[in-house]
Amino acid sequence: MPFADLRDFISALERSGDLVRIGQEVDWDLEVGAISRRVFEQGGPALLFERIKDYPNGYAILNGPVGTWRRVAIALDLDPNSSVREIYAAYTERRERKIPQATVSSAPCQEEVMVGPDVDLYRLPAPMVHDGDGGRYIGTWDVVITKDPETGWTNWGMYRFMTHTRNMLVGWPQATSQLALMMKNQFLPHNRAMPIAIAIGCDPLCHMVATDPFKPGESEVEYAGGLRGAAVGLVSCKTHDLMVPAHAEIVIEGEVLPDRIALEGPFGEYPGYRSGTMGEGVLVQVTAVAHRRRPILTLSTLGIPPDDSSIAASLTAATAMKRGLMRRGVPVKEVYVPPEGVTHLVVVSVERGGRQVAQQVLDFFTARRVMVSKVVVVDRDVDAFDMAQVIHAFATKCHPGKGMIVQHYEGRGNALTPCYSAEERRKLNGASVVFDATWPEEWAEEAIPVKASFATTYPESVQEKVRKNWRSYGLGGKA
Amino acid sequence: MKREYVTFVRKISDLAEGRQALFIKDLSPGPRKYDTKLVRAELARRSGEGPDDNVLWIRSETGYLHPQPWTIRILEELPPHVAGQPWQDVFASLKQLK
Ligand SMILES: Cc1cc2nc3c(=O)[nH]c(=O)nc-3n(C[C@H](O)[C@H](O)[C@H](O)COP(=O)(O)O)c2cc1C
Repeated sequence: MPFADLRDFISALERSGDLVRIGQEVDWDLEVGAISRRVFEQGGPALLFERIKDYPNGYAILNGPVGTWRRVAIALDLDPNSSVREIYAAYTERRERKIPQATVSSAPCQEEVMVGPDVDLYRLPAPMVHDGDGGRYIGTWDVVITKDPETGWTNWGMYRFMTHTRNMLVGWPQATSQLALMMKNQFLPHNRAMPIAIAIGCDPLCHMVATDPFKPGESEVEYAGGLRGAAVGLVSCKTHDLMVPAHAEIVIEGEVLPDRIALEGPFGEYPGYRSGTMGEGVLVQVTAVAHRRRPILTLSTLGIPPDDSSIAASLTAATAMKRGLMRRGVPVKEVYVPPEGVTHLVVVSVERGGRQVAQQVLDFFTARRVMVSKVVVVDRDVDAFDMAQVIHAFATKCHPGKGMIVQHYEGRGNALTPCYSAEERRKLNGASVVFDATWPEEWAEEAIPVKASFATTYPESVQEKVRKNWRSYGLGGKA
Repeated sequence: MKREYVTFVRKISDLAEGRQALFIKDLSPGPRKYDTKLVRAELARRSGEGPDDNVLWIRSETGYLHPQPWTIRILEELPPHVAGQPWQDVFASLKQLK
């Protein structure tokens, strides 16, 4: 059963023991962030802060809607104990379905509306997430909606937005994001403002789809429908020709200005550092703020893993990477983005390895904007989801002198990669490396070192006998 | 009463004493804390003693807080934005305002 809205999802999390309500008053200024960060770092539950200092009772903040694999499984209506591989498989399979949106007239998200001069963003409890951030980030777990005026295509993306003044936001959809391309292609040449809507507190799958790198022209709302198994109900914005999820908790409507800018950032980001993106964002003039009564603001207190980005966004990134590698003809078996690697480190297992395949993998990851800096390629017998096996393969099969291929690039690197210098980050210069932990293609089968494991060095008849007699040897563990 | 503000610079050496335009965040407690203003102001490295001298904390682009605050005397409040296209460097635009 799809979740009707965020509140429905919150109830499910509460039933499964994956959410804690905090009724004691907490300060939006750092305290909410500090509690949330500590809970993330303990792999703890989603947190619903129900009493926020300076704000009316019931104005709430939800941190970490999908910050554990259990919560991702619940979002997908799977058994909470599903394995990561099962979660990947379910997402991949359902992502192929599309269900068109439905237009609805009744919109909980518009129960209360501030328009024009009445707009006051300070009436919403945007947290000061980390000490030293550039300001209060109201959009950390959002769905940002813009429309191409020529084709009518609507883009959904997840981008950070910070409260600038009572009626202005600044944000940082990267200069290589689809929002940026739309602005640069369709609005800037005419010096026109671009309508924008920022939806906060939607069904969890709407947010996950917003993190998924769909191609321009693809309608994310239809994929969200497919993943949920039910159409997403959309309602028209109050001040712009944009459609937004009717069930959202909060919708901020506005215009990205074509000729005015202001200071955005810095922000403690998904790689786990505040590495210094600042002063190169967009400025939004807010035209309306609509919200449910007693709105719930979704938050992801980003930082070192695990959090919603390193868990849920790793899933959407990994499935997109696998599709891309397959399209390029790479004999890919599985792709795993370990949360600890914060989408900087990716594991790719291949049906057949060798340097050529490793090069093909690297070519894929460096073709467009490059978010990944390290890729480990392993043979098909290595379980890509088992980091113990991956580390073993990397340690033993990646030749220190020949097994690494490095590719440098300019103008399309990751602005947030902490190991880059400030100048490299600003210029989007960087490098990616593939670690080839597969056997060279040219090695004859008889020359390939034989893995000394139970499954590979004993005849089937011996294995069978040992398994059968396991308990009679007096041994516990897996029979 | 003295007010406290914070400003962000890419690096502390970018900041000079004297008159200039800069974005500041108001650190007065309450629901409007961190509201942004664009101001023309007089900055000084010393800690302020005069009645119009307010405290200016300085953070770098990584959010690093410099231990010694400066003094800020606000001369004029401007609309909270500068000329420029999205993704352009705000600090370059600020320099034009001087
Ligand atoms: C929690 C979170 C925060 C994100 N913040 C940003 C951001 O501020 N700017 C950005 O360009 N991408 C950000 N991303 C990544 C984008 O959501 C992702 O690249 C998505 O595919 C963007 O859509 P697009 O391909 O339509 O641009 C974030 C992802 C997550 C999970």
